[in-house]
Amino acid sequence: MRNFILIIRRFFNLILFAGLEILCFVLMSHAHNLQGDEIVSSANTAIGIIYEKKSDMDKYFSLGKMNDSLLNENMRLRKMIDQYRTVDTLKDMPVRRELASSDTTTHVVKYADYIYRTARVINNSVDGVNNYITINRGTKDGIVKGMSVISGTGLVGRVEYVTAHFASVLSILSNKQQVSAKLKDGTFKSTVWDNEKPEVFMMKDMPQEAKIKKGDSVFTTSFGNTFPPDVLIGTVSMIEINKKNGKQQLYLKPATNFRSLQYVYVLENLMDAEKKQLDEVPVKK
Amino acid sequence: MNVYIKNILRFCIIVILQVFILQRITLHWFTEPAGALFIPFVYPLFILLLPFETPVWLLLLLGFTLGVTVDSFMTTAGMHACATVLIAYLRTNVLNALMPRNLSEYINQQPSIKNMGWMPFLVYSGFLIILHHLVFFTIESWSFISFGSLMLKVGASFITSMLFIIVYILLFTRQNVSRA
Repeated sequence: MRNFILIIRRFFNLILFAGLEILCFVLMSHAHNLQGDEIVSSANTAIGIIYEKKSDMDKYFSLGKMNDSLLNENMRLRKMIDQYRTVDTLKDMPVRRELASSDTTTHVVKYADYIYRTARVINNSVDGVNNYITINRGTKDGIVKGMSVISGTGLVGRVEYVTAHFASVLSILSNKQQVSAKLKDGTFKSTVWDNEKPEVFMMKDMPQEAKIKKGDSVFTTSFGNTFPPDVLIGTVSMIEINKKNGKQQLYLKPATNFRSLQYVYVLENLMDAEKKQLDEVPVKK
Repeated sequence: MNVYIKNILRFCIIVILQVFILQRITLHWFTEPAGALFIPFVYPLFILLLPFETPVWLLLLLGFTLGVTVDSFMTTAGMHACATVLIAYLRTNVLNALMPRNLSEYINQQPSIKNMGWMPFLVYSGFLIILHHLVFFTIESWSFISFGSLMLKVGASFITSMLFIIVYILLFTRQNVSRA
């Protein structure tokens, strides 16, 4: 017995070493079944908490990248929605507008009327009579005067001046442009901005018989040829009845928050030239 | 600074360095055609830099703790622990072979370039690190089928690890030598 203890004391380090190595191999062999995995893995609580903190930190640094990727994702989804919109339901079979693609190697058929381009807002004003937004896209990126600009939530404005790398957008907070707008039931009228706050728009002289409730959505129409149809402009926040003629005055809250605008989409209407051509044909009587 | 606090701090720093920074760096310098990735391992440095007179059983336990900590972060149950325990066991023998005096004569000192010199320190750390890598990568692949690729991995990873270790040593060694 004494010898045994002596041997243990003599080879204590070797025994400890062998024991620990065996423990390691036991851990390794257990790692591939579900129960053993919990002993040593990043799923256990303490390590999980540390990793969560680290990922929170990492997330903060990659916010910009995440934003850009979301923007592109949105662009793709909007494009897809547009493809459904252009299916002409008046006919039995869908009319598809085939547009020539510049890329000749692959046969791509574009059905959508609109091409979306993403842009970042680099300058913004909300206090003037005519408010302009500067975006970081220009003619080099295919921006042309007259293209409409929308944000993730609603209508923003129209491209007014373009340089090689930048463009300035006349926002709908302006005296210069009135936006043709419609309610859900189809009543249409143009909106005006009263130069006061970027939070209030007006639609004047709505007919009495239009049934309007507080909270109704107001969309753009395609009548003005300037904006794409069915983009949300805002929601009705207040209804006033003009006592002289009994017509309704609507106060709208715009869907876009102009004070904190960061990313916008610029829309190119592929059918624009064709429409304009048609409008310019003198009407013969 | 107290030797215990110093080593606990070093443990934390090295684990954080390894797990949060070096683990992200996946290299494939020479193993490009095989597509095998490897990570530089710096954490064995903690074992290498423990004081001279640390008893072997403590080295083993510390090595196991370090290995299991790194393992739990990397979800490689036991692999790092296995390799680290091995070098912790062999550390004393290697030092005994390299140092001119008995280890118990170096009181309150740790292996460093200052008291070992460049060449012995590089031999000491290089030997243990390459052993660690060899064991780790062998266990990781668990076969000798792609022996060439395994050796390539060990070699490339060893070179990068040593680079990082030298950088660490240069950064965290107090330079109180007056250059005349």
